[in-house]
Amino acid sequence: MNNIRYVKGDNMIKDYTKILIYKLSFSVLVVITGVIFTILNIGRTDFLGFNSVGRWLIYIGVLMIAVSFMAIGFKKKRKIDERMKKIASESARWTFVSIILFAFIIMIIDGIKPITIPYYLFMSYLICGLLIIHIVLYKIVLRMY
Amino acid sequence: MTLSKNKLKEFREQHSLSQEALAEKAEVTRQTIISIEKGKCVPSLELALKLSKIFKCKVENLFQI
Repeated sequence: MNNIRYVKGDNMIKDYTKILIYKLSFSVLVVITGVIFTILNIGRTDFLGFNSVGRWLIYIGVLMIAVSFMAIGFKKKRKIDERMKKIASESARWTFVSIILFAFIIMIIDGIKPITIPYYLFMSYLICGLLIIHIVLYKIVLRMY
Repeated sequence: MTLSKNKLKEFREQHSLSQEALAEKAEVTRQTIISIEKGKCVPSLELALKLSKIFKCKVENLFQI
């Protein structure tokens, strides 16, 4: 297992196993929350394609554990230097600007025709949209610098 | 901010170093070296000092604003 990675180009070596432990702890916490919700019958409504919030949490938790373990195999030593930091901060800045623009447009649309989709669905669309915007902006900024 | 003088490429070629080798010595990626050489990116003080140390010259001989 390659448990070393370079961070921020200044020869700072961080123990990757520590990060993995944090990830796994959070995933297990999500699964436990899901189990508790299921046992206590909390949130027994259709939720993002699952018939309860608890089951969705269990699914997400297990998925997070699987992804964390899969990442061990694919993790390689990488250098993060000042250019990459600059690109990341620039794309984050543009993503933030796009959030404000997006929120403004949604407010106008909601004023014209009320948005009646459930809040969790709206937020999940928003998060997916932002991730896509961030990835696209990152690729664009990468070509600029 | 742009640099009025950027002699990184000249110094690199004088020292017969490839972009990859220089990047390795300066502990950055090759893309960063390319970007600085093209003038797209301005190096930080730390990187500029590292590069001057590699080429054993003054920073102002490499870069100027």
